[in-house]
Amino acid sequence: MLTKISGGDIIDPVNGRLGKGDLWIRDDKIVAAPAGGAADRTIDAAGCIVMAGAIDIHSHIGGGNVNTARLLLPEQHAAHQARPATTPLSNAGWSTFQTGCLYAKMGFTTVVEPAMSPGAALHTHLELADIPIIDKATLAILGNDDFLLSMIRDDAPSKMIEDYVAWTVASTRALGVKVINAGAAAAFKENVRTFSLDEVVPSYGVSSRKIVKTLQAAVDSLGVPHPLHVHCNNLGSPGSADTAAATIAAAEGLPLHLAHLQFYGYGTEGKRRFSSAAARLAELVNATPEVTIDIGQVMFGQTVTVSSDVMRQFSARGSAHPKKSVIHDGDGNGGGIVPYSYGKDFYGTMQWAIGLELFLLIDDPWRVFFTTDHPNGAPFTVYPALFELLMSREARAETIAELPKSAMALSTLASIDREYTFEEIAIMTRAAPAKLLGLTDRGHLGVGVTADIAVYRRDENIAKMLGQAAYVFKDGDLVVQDGEITHYRWGKALRLNPSPDKAMVRRLDDYHQQRYGLSLDWFNFPDSAIAREQPFGEVACRM
Amino acid sequence: MAVAWIGNRETLVERAAAHAAALLGSSRCPVFSLDTDIHGTRAAIALAERVGAAYDHAADGAALSRETALFTDKGAMTVAPGETRRRADVVVIVGELPQIHHEFVGELAETVPDLSAKNQREIFLVGSKGASAPPLNNGRTATLLSCGEASLGATLAAMRAQCRGRRTSQPVSNFDDFAKALEAAHFPVFLFSGGATEGLALEMLQGLIADLNRKSRASGLHLPANENGWGSALASTWMTGFPLRTGFARGFPEFDPWRYDVARMIAAGEADLHLRISSSIVQPQKKKNRMALIVLAKTQEPIAGAAVTIAIGEAGVDHEAVVYSSRTGSLRSVDVRAASELPSAATVIRLVASHVSAEAALSC
Repeated sequence: MLTKISGGDIIDPVNGRLGKGDLWIRDDKIVAAPAGGAADRTIDAAGCIVMAGAIDIHSHIGGGNVNTARLLLPEQHAAHQARPATTPLSNAGWSTFQTGCLYAKMGFTTVVEPAMSPGAALHTHLELADIPIIDKATLAILGNDDFLLSMIRDDAPSKMIEDYVAWTVASTRALGVKVINAGAAAAFKENVRTFSLDEVVPSYGVSSRKIVKTLQAAVDSLGVPHPLHVHCNNLGSPGSADTAAATIAAAEGLPLHLAHLQFYGYGTEGKRRFSSAAARLAELVNATPEVTIDIGQVMFGQTVTVSSDVMRQFSARGSAHPKKSVIHDGDGNGGGIVPYSYGKDFYGTMQWAIGLELFLLIDDPWRVFFTTDHPNGAPFTVYPALFELLMSREARAETIAELPKSAMALSTLASIDREYTFEEIAIMTRAAPAKLLGLTDRGHLGVGVTADIAVYRRDENIAKMLGQAAYVFKDGDLVVQDGEITHYRWGKALRLNPSPDKAMVRRLDDYHQQRYGLSLDWFNFPDSAIAREQPFGEVACRM
Repeated sequence: MAVAWIGNRETLVERAAAHAAALLGSSRCPVFSLDTDIHGTRAAIALAERVGAAYDHAADGAALSRETALFTDKGAMTVAPGETRRRADVVVIVGELPQIHHEFVGELAETVPDLSAKNQREIFLVGSKGASAPPLNNGRTATLLSCGEASLGATLAAMRAQCRGRRTSQPVSNFDDFAKALEAAHFPVFLFSGGATEGLALEMLQGLIADLNRKSRASGLHLPANENGWGSALASTWMTGFPLRTGFARGFPEFDPWRYDVARMIAAGEADLHLRISSSIVQPQKKKNRMALIVLAKTQEPIAGAAVTIAIGEAGVDHEAVVYSSRTGSLRSVDVRAASELPSAATVIRLVASHVSAEAALSC
């Protein structure tokens, strides 16, 4: 089928297309304007902007810890207003079904779950497979697992470590690798309560830095397109900016991605010894081209923090609101679920302001990514409001007026005039994520790429405009019209598929047999276990 | 071989499914009881939404409800089974554990933790006087911690009090041994299940674990009362946001562990249709009231009293399946053991659903 999206303002910085024009889709791909020019379907996009479908690189949308958070908080759903049940499971609050629909309505077509425990890969993929419409991907967590820590302790050759990383990525169907507070979850099992970049994991004598560097090198040399995704040590502590600065410096010329930098943007100034270090971190990021970051913006309100940083979550459980939490020591990382409410008090305000400062002070939209670390900083449903804050200093000023002056005095936010342009938004939420993840088939509107397209009707109210897309196409299917889902489909989970080394598989089988009393079969699964026609889409490694 | 019946008469699966769909369509209060794998559960929940049904686990609804209540009401500190095997230098069996977990407990008695500096494992049992632990290998016995005839909750409360240096009206037997073991332990793990343990006892246990974590480490290993049941609870949670005992009576999911206790709804005469899904063989039920019964089970004959019976295969035997494994603490893919023609629960439920309404935009 040939579709013409006619007369919209096209915003496609990758291909240098900016301004009024038509966009043509044949089946699931974007094509050049055909010579004959007769479309089977014409979408009138006059008064609209047309961008590629958005890509979220870091949003906890599925897997064991997310599901435990749902289990812990049934009362969170009471707030969801019941609507007529016209579509299957469309009213199911914070479910997989709702997740796909809510993302699609905002014009997002690909979302990455950034923290898959390798042992729970099947569970994670089953949840992702139940998220409709959009494509998904996951990052496999390494760096607190005995197998890797033992290899590092024993000075295993880098080839062997690469084989293990490749096996993990292949068998868990991941798109990349994440390390979460490297070594801390292992140390916590031995009763260590705080852990920094140069501290060593007891029993292994391996430092956090060494784990990060080892994984960074393995990921790079395997040609995994996405750089090692790092959740640094000391998340949330006053003074954690030092840790982030040290980790940025540790990139040492090789690509490194730092997740939710806002949670490390904390200095120790002021009488509460909690201040903004955003300007310092932004300067470091600006000066370190091999580093990319996402923000993890905080927005005010109730949420739940879901993290595989079990040590940090354990220490945060006293601030749980409502007062309950789950702390799980897993085979590698485990996780912690701590509900939390961000109030407009001093601390909440600082966190909110620091996130925005980072967004606005980091110059290059190719290296800063739009996230709330859903649901940790806020649920992803706040994205429209967050776009408005980035694109309108007036909107920021209005919010600042309601916030404690004592907090704003320790932040530079009020003095920043920058407003993101649609072109920058298109880079930050489309082109740059596709590049960062190695997804060459999306993120822009060039001929031949997947027809993932978001059309927004221009409105002075940016949140309204970007919150309810006028039209969304996923793989050429029209899935959203006027902010409502019009068509359901199942997306894929995007994965790498490096060939595992046979000797490594034998080694791992022996290891599992000896240490867990179980063969490796207990942890593997065939694609058919997902019970969908095409559950996975393959992405190539760098040659 | 016959695989479908309307009443006692053999029929085609297609017709039996259409008849089941008609019964579901005209039911005012349908209830589902599940004992099936993940994909069977997913299909059943999608059907439940379509017909406004409530669902629960077939045999262990009450025990699973105590386990989910621990999470929904209190939270918990838990540990993976693999870490328990590799790290637990003290294992405390809390109350009676379901038979399915006895093999793992035996394995814990037979092995030593390889990730612990202490190369041995001590085993305790919390229970009333005369309580017995699962059989331990190597001729080992678990040291009993009890307060005479006191309940499990009371015994745990006494243990917790004594751990904090407080006096109790009745001391816990062998407490000094326990205190000594805890003092030397690096990672004690308490094995618990909702099978025979009251909700408040589970909370008290978590209080004890939280107390221990003030200064050192400890955690709890959740060994679910029923593996299929816990798998269904997980799938229900991601699909609807809620665990079992959720109902769609008002068109959207509502979680109410009392109202949607399916056994209660049947006993109270609230339900007018019962869909029983079990991939293992189901014993014929005695019909008590006018409630219609639809059974999907591995059977060669119609179930007595059922309006519709459809034969299905057993997950992981007749067809491949995804199930919860308490041995890995996560979902696991199980291959076919003896492939047969019998369809999976998921296949039959989808067939029934396809007759319920044509407006299905999205089949699960």
